[in-house]
Amino acid sequence: MDTLSVEELERRLPHADELHAMDLADLKAAFAGESQAAEKYLVFAEKAEAEGLPNVANLFRAISFAETRHARNHLRVMAGVNATADNLQTAFEGESFEIDQMYPAYVEVAKLQGDKQAFKSMHWALKAEMDHKRMYAEARETVLAGGDVAAQTVHVCTVCGHTVIGDAPDKCPVCAAAGSAYRAFA
Amino acid sequence: MGDAFKNTPPKPEKLGAMTEESLKAAFAGESQASQKYLAFAAKADDEGYPNIGRLFRAVAHAERMHARNHLSVLGGIAGTADNLKAAWGGETFEIDEMYPAYDAIAKLQGAAEASTSIRYAATAERDHQVIYDSTAEGLGAGNDLGATPIRVCPICGHTVIGDAPDECPVCGTAGQYFDTF
Repeated sequence: MDTLSVEELERRLPHADELHAMDLADLKAAFAGESQAAEKYLVFAEKAEAEGLPNVANLFRAISFAETRHARNHLRVMAGVNATADNLQTAFEGESFEIDQMYPAYVEVAKLQGDKQAFKSMHWALKAEMDHKRMYAEARETVLAGGDVAAQTVHVCTVCGHTVIGDAPDKCPVCAAAGSAYRAFA
Repeated sequence: MGDAFKNTPPKPEKLGAMTEESLKAAFAGESQASQKYLAFAAKADDEGYPNIGRLFRAVAHAERMHARNHLSVLGGIAGTADNLKAAWGGETFEIDEMYPAYDAIAKLQGAAEASTSIRYAATAERDHQVIYDSTAEGLGAGNDLGATPIRVCPICGHTVIGDAPDECPVCGTAGQYFDTF
């Protein structure tokens, strides 16, 4: 299969548009819906794989990819995809919101209600967002100084999402999963 | 909460209503972050920053683990037969309710690009609805889906089981550019 050139993609994909408030609200909701469908289908694919249904798993993965295309298209129309330096800033702000506001509030609620599994899921996410925030801040500095970041492998814990640049640790410092549970982005 | 940090993904549990609300919102947030970072990765690649592209992809994967964990606690991961039904239900809502309403508003407000993005999605959701339905039926009779490749249009998300068409019937992209699963 061939890959479309950047120019051809730009010509064919929906573009940023001047939007009325209702259109913007719709696209935000549709982006939220497509994003959640894409992620849900990937989890369903893992489950189908575990049940010995590799072809249903493949179907879930393919349709997840289609939803990813829809999410990207909606995001483009909302002018949500900009130059990389700006995208890094957007990402940094999203992580900051989760660290400073969202997860601390949710962690407190989970504690208050005694929901241990929810606490664990929130706590793990909060920990990883702190790594992400730092990485995005450093990457933005590098881009503004005119460079790409160094060509190092990034490792992600497949249990809790802990993220490190460079080698995976022997044991995840957040959830104690073995280093072999990390997925490499090389 | 001393026993909360064992090396297993979180499991479903009986949740307080506010915790459930929190997890739903966090699942929505993580899903959107993951998808946004994938779009940012493609942009970084285009701009000649392959290593930032990789960073965005790795962090998208981390957000994906968070989304999965939250969904697990919410009890959102069932057996495949039920997962197919849930997927079918989501597609049906988008086809019958969500996208027709959004499309009407985009037309009313004269937003051409929004209308295109909405039409591309709504058209593909019909493919997905049909495929999920027949797959659930097959599984009900005890069969996995056939091992036929599935092709997805990289522009509009049009989805077909089997060979890619010469040209995408929705957006006109040549079949050679379809992604294969």
